[in-house]
Amino acid sequence: MLSRVAENLYWMARYLERGENTARLINTTTKLLLDLPRGASFGWDVLLKVAGLDSEFHKNYDEANESNIMRFLIEDPRNPSSIMACTRLARENTRSFREVLPNEMWERINSLYLYVKQNAPRAVSGRGQRYQVLNTIIEGRQSIVGLLFGSMSHDLAYQFLKLGRNLERADMTTRILDVNSAILTPGGDVLPESIQERLWMSVLTTLSAYQMYRRHVGVHIQPDKVVSYMLINQDFPRTVLHCLGELEGCLAALPHNTTPMRTVRRAWRRTAGMKVAGLTPVVLHEYLDQIQTDLAAIHDRVAEQYFYLHHHNDAQTQTATNQ
Amino acid sequence: MIEINEQEYGANIAFDELLDENRQPRPAARALFNYLNALPPGELESRREAVEAAILTMGITFTVYSEGTNIDRAWPFDIVPRTIAKNEWLRIEEGLKQRLTALNLFINDLYNEQKIVKDGVFPLEVLAGSKNFRTQCKGITPRFGVWAHICGTDLVRDKDGVVYVLEDNLRVPSGVSYMLGNREVMKRLFPEIFQASLILPVDDYPTQLYDTLAALSPRETSWPVIAVLTPGIFNSAYFEHSYLAQQMGAYLVEGSDLIVDKDNCVYMKTVTGLTRVDVIYRRIDDDFLDPEAFRSDSALGVPGLMRAWREGNVGIANAPGSGVADDKVVYTYVPQIIQYYLNQEPILANVPSYLCMFEDQREYVLANLDKLVVKPANESGGYGMLIGPRATPEERDQFAALIRENPRNYMAQPTLDISTAPTLAGNQLVPRHLDLRPFVLQSDRLFVTTGGLTRVAMKAGSLVVNSSQGGGSKDTWIVDTEE
Repeated sequence: MLSRVAENLYWMARYLERGENTARLINTTTKLLLDLPRGASFGWDVLLKVAGLDSEFHKNYDEANESNIMRFLIEDPRNPSSIMACTRLARENTRSFREVLPNEMWERINSLYLYVKQNAPRAVSGRGQRYQVLNTIIEGRQSIVGLLFGSMSHDLAYQFLKLGRNLERADMTTRILDVNSAILTPGGDVLPESIQERLWMSVLTTLSAYQMYRRHVGVHIQPDKVVSYMLINQDFPRTVLHCLGELEGCLAALPHNTTPMRTVRRAWRRTAGMKVAGLTPVVLHEYLDQIQTDLAAIHDRVAEQYFYLHHHNDAQTQTATNQ
Repeated sequence: MIEINEQEYGANIAFDELLDENRQPRPAARALFNYLNALPPGELESRREAVEAAILTMGITFTVYSEGTNIDRAWPFDIVPRTIAKNEWLRIEEGLKQRLTALNLFINDLYNEQKIVKDGVFPLEVLAGSKNFRTQCKGITPRFGVWAHICGTDLVRDKDGVVYVLEDNLRVPSGVSYMLGNREVMKRLFPEIFQASLILPVDDYPTQLYDTLAALSPRETSWPVIAVLTPGIFNSAYFEHSYLAQQMGAYLVEGSDLIVDKDNCVYMKTVTGLTRVDVIYRRIDDDFLDPEAFRSDSALGVPGLMRAWREGNVGIANAPGSGVADDKVVYTYVPQIIQYYLNQEPILANVPSYLCMFEDQREYVLANLDKLVVKPANESGGYGMLIGPRATPEERDQFAALIRENPRNYMAQPTLDISTAPTLAGNQLVPRHLDLRPFVLQSDRLFVTTGGLTRVAMKAGSLVVNSSQGGGSKDTWIVDTEE
């Protein structure tokens, strides 16, 4: 497998995952806002904080209102993480390795791209159509994952796709959990408990985890239990620990995996050991920061090990690093 | 009942591929017309829409540069196929094999003994003026003596019904993926016709191409590593590069994925380190292939690739320097080239041509610019041509000046009345001009695609079929009419 192709596969999976997560995040937030009382100290700009796109947004827009933020997150080409940009990048990446993917994969991703291109403006313009459009996008992306799962042999290409997907997913889970520290700034007004519960419920909904949480943890939404569930439960596919376990499995199937594997295992141990009971927003934020740092380190080690050759041209260094 | 546009067909003086003088279907087109006539009203229109949707979803695109940005355009396609009777096709196939065999002998001779020049059959001055003769290739004989492994030959039919060779594309001919894509689309949307008539299949091209390339491997192995070398995603034929790589199970690589190591072998950069490459199907021009040997500013190529090839450590298709025979002046000598190397009469005719480098012929061209088509020797894609009868006097004057300035670079041909085929416009059939590009393969074997890519001018009267200039295409059927 070519280094360049491995890297493109990895990023394609990340872009697809990111696009879907953004769509989920917007859908849940749109619903949440309908339920909140007037004057709750929470606005659309929290979405920018979650996505880590705060400063990028303000470079391009004056006012953080709903329509600007929706445009930025859904269809703005200047935002490399917008749903449109992610889908386009995923499609462009797919074009560069059609030969390693099942034939239908290209058609699916191309259809998804054409759909986003045609319908993104509808999702921006009003809440009415937004839900339906974003849901179709989520479905489109899930049909792609299903196709890969059902018709691709578990070769190297598959492992790189899976690496990208799980790394992006773990990252997004920490960002979505962090939404509350963006709202409940230390020293600021503490929100009434009922609203807090709503917020945590929306966290679970965004992660498609609400139903599973109720079945496996309990009917009551308790902040520390939600956090604990989303960080260290090993069975639900969007928890940090589950994703780290998946990363470990991918690396086990790849050659020369010593260094990246060590980084994954360290992150796993650190996350598993986090004490969640009686958690304050400040500590939660630090925990999440730590996980994000660990995820970034995993990315770096993977890139150094497998994508390195693609970025270098000297034959001798190459031979040396690959002994 | 499918309707023929009487007005346009009444004025059509060209040979029509599907309809005879009485506007009745020719034998190879009869089954098709029976089918079209039996379709309920409106059905063809809705199938056409379905075809367009399928092309969009399948992502059969080509890239257009001229509009400021790179735009992916859906491949323009006409759903009425072009038919050719099998017995006629077999003769064309023989002619194409004969032609490529002779051209490869010619290229190998030019880079080695140059017997054809010494024997006075091919003038030294033509060779001297050739832009695509690469001195870096002198003294090399690639495996099987074959240089051009993949050739796209453009054929047209004049009003007398004779098929002429218009040009031989020996550098990096493209279009074969569209030929395969066209058939795939037609089979999806019109499965019934394929059951009802004897249309020969086209889909073994990727296998044939693979075998042709595999035969060039320097290592004796049953799984040679084959790579398709593309300039990258912004190239207009990128769709084809990735399609062929996928169909052959080959690697699709860019120049930056490859290196030539001290042992003069080519390696690709993989996640597990360096892997040796045996054969490169390159889809970039000679100029950009190797900055050490050709243009030093090329970022698309691989430094040292020529070294590796010269040492016999990698097969390259088409071999560097093959373009020497892809020159419209050299073209005019192909009948003599066939005679000289094979001692045979050419099976396929050349269009009569005038070479501006010879004074008497040049004077004739300059005096008859309003009747001739003038072509530059080394352009492809229909760029830089003058179609005399359709040009303004000013354009003709400009061209006359260009010819006087650089006579070696121009040749002229009489304007042909290129044949037409019925093409769907609204719910009627109108005549549109077309050509045919079959693809010919040669290494340890010779192979010709069944039919080829039919390109069609989508505008009334237009002769320009190039997709980069608004042409479209049709599925091409070789029909067995004997049963």
